[in-house]
Amino acid sequence: MTFTILFGAALALLQNGLMVGAILFSLGLIGILSRRNLIVMFLSAELMLQGISVSLVAWSRYHGDFGGHVLVVFVLSVAACEAAIALVFVLQAFTRTGRLDSTAWQTLREATIDRSIDHEIPSLDTSLPNFPRLTPAGRSPPPDEQAAAQRDHV
Amino acid sequence: MSPSFLLILIPLLPLLAAIATIVCGRRLEHRAHLPAVIGLAAAAVVALALLVLTVRSRGSAETPRPIDITTTLWQWATIDNAYLPAIDSQAAVPGVAVGDDAYSARPFSISITMRLDPLTATMLTIITSIGLLVAIYSIGYMHGDPGYPRFFALVAMFVFSMSMLVAASNFLLVYVFWEAVGVCSYLLIGFWFQKPAAAKAAKKAFLVNRIGDFGLAVAVFLLWLTYGTLDFHDTFSSEGTILPGILGQTRLADIGGYVSGIVGTAICLLLLLAACGKSAQLPLHVWLPDAMEGPTPASALIHAATMVTAGVYLIARCAPLYMACPGALVMVSIVGTTTALVAALIGTVQNDLKRVLAYSTISQLGYMFACLGTGTLLGFTAAIFHLLTHAFFKALLFLGAGSVMHSMGGVIDMRRFGGLRKLMPVTAITFLIGSLALAGIAPFAGFFSKDEILTSLHSKGWPDVHHSVNDQHHATIPNMPSPHSRGNTIHNVGYREFSSYGENLKGTRTPETVGLDALNQPIVWRTLFWMALVTAGLTAFYTFRAVFMTFTGPLRVPEEAGDHAHESPSAMTTPLIVLAIPAIFIGFILFATEGLAHFLAATPSFTAPSVVSTATASVFHWDLAIQGTLAAALGVVIAAVGHLGRRSDGPQLERWLGPLRSFLEHHMFIDQFYIAIIIKPIKAISFIAALFEKHCIERFVELIAHLPLTLGGVTRRLQSGLLQRYALASVIGVLAIIVLLAWRL
Repeated sequence: MTFTILFGAALALLQNGLMVGAILFSLGLIGILSRRNLIVMFLSAELMLQGISVSLVAWSRYHGDFGGHVLVVFVLSVAACEAAIALVFVLQAFTRTGRLDSTAWQTLREATIDRSIDHEIPSLDTSLPNFPRLTPAGRSPPPDEQAAAQRDHV
Repeated sequence: MSPSFLLILIPLLPLLAAIATIVCGRRLEHRAHLPAVIGLAAAAVVALALLVLTVRSRGSAETPRPIDITTTLWQWATIDNAYLPAIDSQAAVPGVAVGDDAYSARPFSISITMRLDPLTATMLTIITSIGLLVAIYSIGYMHGDPGYPRFFALVAMFVFSMSMLVAASNFLLVYVFWEAVGVCSYLLIGFWFQKPAAAKAAKKAFLVNRIGDFGLAVAVFLLWLTYGTLDFHDTFSSEGTILPGILGQTRLADIGGYVSGIVGTAICLLLLLAACGKSAQLPLHVWLPDAMEGPTPASALIHAATMVTAGVYLIARCAPLYMACPGALVMVSIVGTTTALVAALIGTVQNDLKRVLAYSTISQLGYMFACLGTGTLLGFTAAIFHLLTHAFFKALLFLGAGSVMHSMGGVIDMRRFGGLRKLMPVTAITFLIGSLALAGIAPFAGFFSKDEILTSLHSKGWPDVHHSVNDQHHATIPNMPSPHSRGNTIHNVGYREFSSYGENLKGTRTPETVGLDALNQPIVWRTLFWMALVTAGLTAFYTFRAVFMTFTGPLRVPEEAGDHAHESPSAMTTPLIVLAIPAIFIGFILFATEGLAHFLAATPSFTAPSVVSTATASVFHWDLAIQGTLAAALGVVIAAVGHLGRRSDGPQLERWLGPLRSFLEHHMFIDQFYIAIIIKPIKAISFIAALFEKHCIERFVELIAHLPLTLGGVTRRLQSGLLQRYALASVIGVLAIIVLLAWRL
């Protein structure tokens, strides 16, 4: 598909609408692929759906046909049902593992592949040497009578 | 009872008997011999009836005609237009078709056809009668053996294969049954296969036979290429023209019908190779002495009387082919006589009675080849005559040896027993009769056949002594279309300078010669004659050495004999007695009445003009008879000096032979020679091949096997179990599709 920028307000409107839809879709896609939180993944999926809806509306406005609008209404209702079911899944997943992390579910991997583990924060190495302690600034040391009695100056 | 029906019955009955024994042999237990014996007895009776019928149909002496009755059972294979002859007349197949379509394409068609002629009838009688006697003998010999039914099944199967071999009218069928008798021989030699020596001997026999079979296969290929057909008999094509068979009446009557030169000699030499393999002649004789590991009745049947005669039969059958190639004929004689002499020499120092008889068989077969190679009608007839007498007395000798072995508890080394004439009188007398026949003492059977062999060799070495038939107008042979008499004495041995061809051919052809034909000199034949005479003396020597060492002198019985050192049961002695009768009389009867000679001369193969023209007057040459008898008597006397009576228990004469003795005792080191030049290189090559296979081929295969594993290992890393990575994969896929579509549009 080659984008030809022609004159015409309808076309500009279409292009803007498709852009917005594409941006929404891609943000949702990136979200699904990179976020680990199950709820956020689902959120991103919804975002993808909404991106498609915007595109549909734009096309339908461009062609002057109401078919796209009707389809968007369907999509919205399906999205709502799907939200309900998906959140039930997320809840079940959380009940089983106590975590909302998608990397908690790795048991279907090949036997020869190791489990993917997050980088752990290295623990504190308490074997540091004893650094010398300076005297705290702004406080004079307590007087020493012995050293004061044998001083050779006033 | 037509002859065709009887001809089909003869192989059919042993086949049914073999199948019956295989199917219900185990259930019959000690009666497992019944199907085989009944089948073989019926086949023997039918063969005798067929012989009588065939003799009767010979016609009278004034108007004899060749006997040739063909029966086709079914059509086995047909490939249309398989043979396309060249248009060039020089390269045309000799006598392709009588008629104008000499250059038409011919089909490759093999029909299961059996052909009855005097040679076939004679061989069938020998095979079935000796088969029957061996089967009866085996009832006593194989008694108590765990493989009792298997033995009889194999004997019946063998008789079936051999009968079909001699009755088949097609070279391919001959090849099939040639192999079949080889298989039966292998199974019978290795009958006690748990014994490693027997298994090895069976393998050796089969492999050496295989070399001969290779020769036969290549000969069959060449025959097809040269003659355009593999049938013996003439067939009729769909247009009504005759397709001449290789040994059919049409080609036999055609003077230029057979190919000479390189191709013809090659065919004949390859057939000779096949015959050497089967009949244990010189380069390929090594399997026969080892074949004595098998049961003695099997040795008597196969390695004395029938299977080893298949080679002689083949060459006799292909007599017209050989007559066109004198070089090949000389080779046949040279091979035969050399084998006879070498085998006789080796047989003189053998201590194993069966080995002596084995080498004797090789030697006698060499005699048959020697006179086959003379290329005269007398030679061919004498070979079959000797085959007939040899079958009887050699089977008698082998069965007698088996009887001795049976009562000596399996011991067959002659140095360990002696003086058995009092212990086993029937065996002793029949063995003596067989030995007299083998040594060629008149008037026993072997004398006449050996005399004919010596006569045929003599007639080639000193041709002017013997007179051709046409010179004396002595017509004792069937009148075929008379060959043009162009001074055909026997100087040019059975192969005349043809100068007029083309009566049946388009275009003329002159006979070609090969270098081998130069061997056809009288000096060569004289050498062969003296070799044969010396062999006759040696034959008498080793035969009577065996007789004296076994049966004369003080009685000595080895301890393996135990309590059954007595005469064998009647099941074993009856065949001995029955065989002794022909061993005494058959030679004299057939010679005096010239019955066999006249009968065999009506065989189509022997009615070819090239064979008929070599017929000599049937005169009994007293000088040759005396020479033969002197040689035999000398052999007997020397054997008696060395081994008779009290001297029968030790190596008396062999001490004087010195180093020659050990050379002969080790079978002239031929086995070791073959091991060194054939077996060891093959083992080295196979060792290298095994190394190559292990390190190269196996590794390559393993490499291929590892490819899926590696590929799988790479793609396995995609399955991480992390949900978002899967989603990423699907997104990438969608993007790829979109990009693809964008570029397409």
